[in-house]
Amino acid sequence: MLDRRALPTSTLQPFPLVRIDGLNKWFGALHVLQNIDLTLRPGARVVVCGPSGSGKSTLIRCINGLERFQKGTIEFEGRSLGKSDRDAAMARRLTGMVFQSFNLFPHLTVLANCTLALRRVLLKSAHEAEEIAMRHLTAVHIPEKAQAYPAQLSGGQQQRAAIARALCLDPRIMLFDEPTSALDPEMIKEVLDVMIALAKTGVTMVCVTHEMGFAREVADEIVFMDQGSIVEHASSSDFFSRAAHPRARLFLDTILSH
Amino acid sequence: MGFNLDFALSTIPIIIGAIGTTLLATVLSCLGASALGFTFEMIRRGGGAPGLAVRFLIDFIRSTPVLAWLYFLYFVLPFYGIRLGAMTVGILGLSLYYSGYLAEVFKAGIDAIPRGQQEAARALSLTRRDTVIFVIAPQMLRNIAAPLGNYLVSILKATPYLAILAVPEMLGRAFDIASETYRYAEPLTIAGVLFLALALIVSYGVKRIEKLLLASGRR
Repeated sequence: MLDRRALPTSTLQPFPLVRIDGLNKWFGALHVLQNIDLTLRPGARVVVCGPSGSGKSTLIRCINGLERFQKGTIEFEGRSLGKSDRDAAMARRLTGMVFQSFNLFPHLTVLANCTLALRRVLLKSAHEAEEIAMRHLTAVHIPEKAQAYPAQLSGGQQQRAAIARALCLDPRIMLFDEPTSALDPEMIKEVLDVMIALAKTGVTMVCVTHEMGFAREVADEIVFMDQGSIVEHASSSDFFSRAAHPRARLFLDTILSH
Repeated sequence: MGFNLDFALSTIPIIIGAIGTTLLATVLSCLGASALGFTFEMIRRGGGAPGLAVRFLIDFIRSTPVLAWLYFLYFVLPFYGIRLGAMTVGILGLSLYYSGYLAEVFKAGIDAIPRGQQEAARALSLTRRDTVIFVIAPQMLRNIAAPLGNYLVSILKATPYLAILAVPEMLGRAFDIASETYRYAEPLTIAGVLFLALALIVSYGVKRIEKLLLASGRR
């Protein structure tokens, strides 16, 4: 019996990082994801946008196994992510997730938030874990908040701490689920700046956001979703200059006009 | 026959002599009830057949008198060849009985934790066990410090039930004095005052711990 998982990645064909094929998901009778096909190559910077309720968040939550799906396949570097718990665990190991509401652990310091998984999952020593965590906290410009508790931070600082926490595990893909939607306007920029800097490091990113300025600056691909389907998938420049689908045009007009 | 203060004072050392038994029964029952209650709640959360069984068990425990549990464990178990000492039965009975209530407290404490916390733990690949130990339990304790403290005081106040099994705790000792001297007012009053003092001390301690818990990482 040949288990493809046992083979080192290098002997495999150069697969795309993630390949989503015919993905379908229902919440009860609600068909929230309809025949989603999406391929992410290494280093891709994808922005997923669309009106609320279009399935954007559900899509990226499927990619890291936080949501189950009923039909279709998701492959990581050619390894199929089926429906088992083990597959979901693998998907989570390869992805870092940043949530709309930060979801920092309130009873732990920022540093402990970052080191928890380093120590418990990657089994790093306390010293090594702190070193890695401090490196990432420095990268998001809050090394001085390491000993603070989340509640003592501003929203923007909390989200940057959450980004650092996700980066600590050295993920292959960073998923952002509306990372700036819960922030006061004056804090959006500091988080977006961190994400722009992160994009420049070449990490693969998928970001659900309404920040079209950010999309224009950072994304090389835009995925526009509406009512559970991908309506338009284009390069960033094409999307902004000549989105073909009327619903995408309408969305752009509304978003860009305010 | 009025209240004899000198006699009352003379019973204090005798009754206080039993304070060790009362405290031991309280501490062990609190630990037992907490461990059992938390285990019950974890199994209930797991769902399935075991979850359903535990759900029934918790309802059963909460719908039966604690005295019935103590009598049952003490008098019925020996028929099945299980012979336990009075103190053991007492601690076991109180642990079982209060575990049903504490499971409910733990449930409320966990339900109050935002869903995003578990999702963040999963996204970080923490195992279920690590999630419970490092993410859920500490936040749960903060949420339930006050009701948990109340139940711990309740357990202290329930230890006199052990007197029916002839465990020499404080109220039992007071009753022994009463039956020897035919004077009830003095020893029972002293026992009451001592319980009051103990309960106040425990409540104060619980409040301090609660404050400490809330101080670490205010929300």
